[in-house]
Amino acid sequence: MPKTRKVILLLYVVMIMFPFFYLFLLSLSAEWKFPDLSPNYFGLKNWEQIFSSQSGLGVSFITSLFISFFVALTTTSLGFYVSRYISYHPRRHTMSMLAYFPYVIAPVVFGACMIYFFLKMGLFGTLYGVILAQSFVAFPYALIFFTSFWGEKIQNYEQLVATLGGNVLQGFMKVTLPLAKGMLMICFFQTFLISWFEYGLTSVIGVGKVETLTIKVFLFIKESNFYFGALSCCLLILPPLVLIYFNKRYVFNKIL
Amino acid sequence: MKILESMLSKNNQNHISLGLFFVLAILPVAAAFSYAVLYSFGVVGIANEGFTLRFWKDVLSKGEFIQSFGYSAAISAVSMVISIGLALYLTVIFHKDFKNRILSFIAYLPLSLPGVVAAFFGVQVLSKSGFFSRISYNLGWTKDLSGFPDLINDQFALGIIFTFVSIVSPFFLLLFLSIFENEKIDELRKLANSLGANRRQSIWKVEIPILLHKSKKLISLYFIFLMGAYEIPLILGREAPQMLSVLIVRDLKQYDLTLISEGYVIAVIYSIVIGLLTYLIFSRQK
Repeated sequence: MPKTRKVILLLYVVMIMFPFFYLFLLSLSAEWKFPDLSPNYFGLKNWEQIFSSQSGLGVSFITSLFISFFVALTTTSLGFYVSRYISYHPRRHTMSMLAYFPYVIAPVVFGACMIYFFLKMGLFGTLYGVILAQSFVAFPYALIFFTSFWGEKIQNYEQLVATLGGNVLQGFMKVTLPLAKGMLMICFFQTFLISWFEYGLTSVIGVGKVETLTIKVFLFIKESNFYFGALSCCLLILPPLVLIYFNKRYVFNKIL
Repeated sequence: MKILESMLSKNNQNHISLGLFFVLAILPVAAAFSYAVLYSFGVVGIANEGFTLRFWKDVLSKGEFIQSFGYSAAISAVSMVISIGLALYLTVIFHKDFKNRILSFIAYLPLSLPGVVAAFFGVQVLSKSGFFSRISYNLGWTKDLSGFPDLINDQFALGIIFTFVSIVSPFFLLLFLSIFENEKIDELRKLANSLGANRRQSIWKVEIPILLHKSKKLISLYFIFLMGAYEIPLILGREAPQMLSVLIVRDLKQYDLTLISEGYVIAVIYSIVIGLLTYLIFSRQK
């Protein structure tokens, strides 16, 4: 029995590691035709092309990084600010439920129904349009995430600061913010990943003009350029892997 | 005076918060939904001439929507059952092993795979020229490309289900492991055993019911997410039937302007169903 257990566990580990290994191998390959089990070329040729205009991957990586960073920063800050109001509101259950809707409805369907408004605002097919559209999905997440932070304990701290003569700003800077630091970090990285992983909404609002890494993967699949496709996948996986290494809670949270 | 100033400033802050909540969370959904409703009834839209029920009748009579809805629900249900079953098995049997630092790190790795990467990987290993097909050829099981079965863009959505399971099961494994720890299920199991329950009884009567009960809201929400999944069925699915999101976006991008209105009809029905399901999940929880 212990041997069977070990085999099953080993099999599961292999199944988890296999996609990472295979995609990395494919990104280092070329001329890998059927039915060969190994590629005819193996080296850094594709990786050296990251910043070439032919692959455009460097630009996509920086575009994705900029969009995700901006979306994460704004939605985390606004979500933290607004969640305080929601948490102490008498109708907080209804408001929380309403906040779930943009998050639960498929982002691509949501985006497709908003095309008209983005066209009218002149944001259709632009970087700012993609940032705004992704914020509509990431903001409710941040809002729901922070509702668990506010409560009697925080209220007591705030009242204590006021009793001791501190003003609202001092209470926020010296008490609330330090208490919320850990959650702010987690929410920042979670919203970063929501934006980083987003494909459907970006493709609908960006109309292919805003080439994030997820859009690039799809383009390479269409072109049957699997080596650059695998390279894009490796670049997409890299930031979340780094986050898992530093803190697992950055990528796994049960707030949904 | 200071108290009055503080109250006014608090009032202002409340107004700003309410405004931001409305503009960023409520208005986009309300605007998108209203526009979709108006378009579906022919009130707005370039080719539309005024209120009509024609597009609704067309969608309901064609049956493509019903088929797509059933197809999406079936794929999501099958994927969820397999994923949860696998995650439950691994949690119940290996929960102690996953406390190991390296194994715990490995268990988190699948969370770094976005849907589009999982779909890309699905194509690479499951297609007729993919990794499994190459192994099959080299082992002499198949003689050429056509000898390998269709595992992507296939009739039974095997490629979609395989990819969904590879993404969903690691999430539920981590969720169940955390519930196992928080709810002290190991101690409850020992208690059940001391009261005379055997290993099988403690698994089926204690461990699994607690794990499922504590995660039922997330299971329901995940099912809704899978029903609206886009990139995986777009890359690994067939032309017909299609999963809901793929069908809606396809119709909304049509050159035939009447089909755009039909796309909005499907989007409206989908939003109402998802809204009702979400409401049910929350009202039950309350």
